[in-house]
Amino acid sequence: MRQIRGEIGAVAKADGSAFFEMGNTKVIAAVYGPREGFGKDGETHSYWSENSRVNYKVENRSQQISDQALVRCEYTMANFSTGDRMRKPKGDRRSTEISLVIRQTMEACILTHLMPRSQIDIFVQVLQADGGTRSACINAATLALADAGIPMRDLVTSCSAGYLNSTPLLDLNYVEDSAGGPDVTVGILPKLDKVTLLQMDAKLPMDIFENVMQLAIEGCKAIANYIREVFDVKACVASMVICLVLIFSTSDLYMGIFLDSGIGGHYNCSFVLCNIFVKKINRNPQKQAPSDGSTCFYGKQKWEELLISTRDES
Amino acid sequence: MVGLSVGEKHFIQGGIAQDLRTDGRRRLTYRPFNVETGVIPQANGSARVRLGGTDVIASVKAELGKPSPSQPDKGKVNIYVDCSPTAAPMFEGRGGEELSTELSGALQHCLLGGKSGAGAGIDLSSLVVVEGKVCWDLYIDGLVVSSDGNLLDALGAAIKAALTNTGIPKVEVAVGASGDGLPEVDISDDEYLQFDTSGVPVIVTLTKVGRHYIVDATLEEESQMSSAVSVSVSGQGRICGLIKRGGAGLDPSVILDMISVAKHVSEQLMNKLDSEISAAEAFEEES
Repeated sequence: MRQIRGEIGAVAKADGSAFFEMGNTKVIAAVYGPREGFGKDGETHSYWSENSRVNYKVENRSQQISDQALVRCEYTMANFSTGDRMRKPKGDRRSTEISLVIRQTMEACILTHLMPRSQIDIFVQVLQADGGTRSACINAATLALADAGIPMRDLVTSCSAGYLNSTPLLDLNYVEDSAGGPDVTVGILPKLDKVTLLQMDAKLPMDIFENVMQLAIEGCKAIANYIREVFDVKACVASMVICLVLIFSTSDLYMGIFLDSGIGGHYNCSFVLCNIFVKKINRNPQKQAPSDGSTCFYGKQKWEELLISTRDES
Repeated sequence: MVGLSVGEKHFIQGGIAQDLRTDGRRRLTYRPFNVETGVIPQANGSARVRLGGTDVIASVKAELGKPSPSQPDKGKVNIYVDCSPTAAPMFEGRGGEELSTELSGALQHCLLGGKSGAGAGIDLSSLVVVEGKVCWDLYIDGLVVSSDGNLLDALGAAIKAALTNTGIPKVEVAVGASGDGLPEVDISDDEYLQFDTSGVPVIVTLTKVGRHYIVDATLEEESQMSSAVSVSVSGQGRICGLIKRGGAGLDPSVILDMISVAKHVSEQLMNKLDSEISAAEAFEEES
């Protein structure tokens, strides 16, 4: 198998994201969700001014499922991902097919019944394609889903294997894939030892097929071990995760206390981190809303001052 | 991005008015940015720029083609930007097309000059191989991986870095080719010509919020803007392009003021960018 590398948190804005590399194949996955399965105005990405703002309506009102989450997936390849520049990175048949495959695989392992009426979006972007993009995408999506804290039955890992020159080969690259031999892609749930994805093209005799599939499954298990290691490291580091709430004013003594829960999935780490950020005291408290959704309490002394000042005013 | 509450909006506007933004920066300070070159090995040149939460990748591919009949002594450059759905869920499918087109157009405007090819930041005549017959076509592709505001500046910086990293293979023209047909060209695999990017401009976007302008706005700050002016300034301090966005009208004196502020800011940005690019290239050569 080629050298693999996985990283969490590639996209800051996403709920969960990951970057996965298998040899020269590089893939970024981002997960947004669970969020409301229907939109009023949806989200607005107001990059440009209000007038040209694109209003995005989540058009899944009719597809919203009342007792489980809706999983959507999109697979896109960058223009520069293959050797010859691709003209149309989205919407072509191969992308649609792979989007469908990834969606079905992930849907099998996400516990969708825990999140009714909501929507989980998985976006996979291929930066560089050198064979095995399908597998790299599924592995990246697993990492991203775990980073987002979405409950899953198990990790899904995937690997491909082939048969060239009478030898079973694990993790084909582009050159080996184009050589014309069969290409078997397998996706499994490692702990439960169940196969969720199995695709093959070209012809292969039955007994050799079993060998090749077994080889692919072993590859998947090796990837699963690697992914678990990535999470163990993250858990230790995540205990120090600090979300800094910078509450600005030219005055005020205050305490910011905020909660951050570490990676979810079946790695349940939650941390409470107290960060006391003290600034100079001022007579006139300004009520400021914190810039992200964390709670903020005034210090005890400040409360007393507030009470005194309001009492004086009234 | 979820909507902002009224309190948050006042907070952002008030902070900008007092020269202290939400993340502690001053009005004319850029976020720390990070440049990596050579991220796409199969492209002729590539770079990845991380400006705070914004992450963009630019790649340059060179292919041989025929120059346009109106400008036989110049190569061709195509700039195309794609917004990946990983940046925001609304970019999936055709959702990001509008933004992509705007960004591509803005970059072409800033970097390539007018229709006649005059005044381009990139020297197009260095791309010609055989005048009138064969030239290099550069395809510059930008990909927005993560968006936290100020995409245009990040893309401009990424394109500049990618062009610095670009190596155009040396081409040998076979002597004695027929008059009409395409001459034989032999593309060498080993030798590369480095591109001259001293003339490539950087783009500085000034966003007007209330009565003050800020540089390098985050997504939340951009949602509060009334208008924005993007100025592309070259190394010699000359203006290569100007785009104004936003519905609010601007007094001409304000625009002139913004241009001078942009020129001032662009010097620091250019120096910082150049040093980051050289550091990135040095790092890439070591590894």
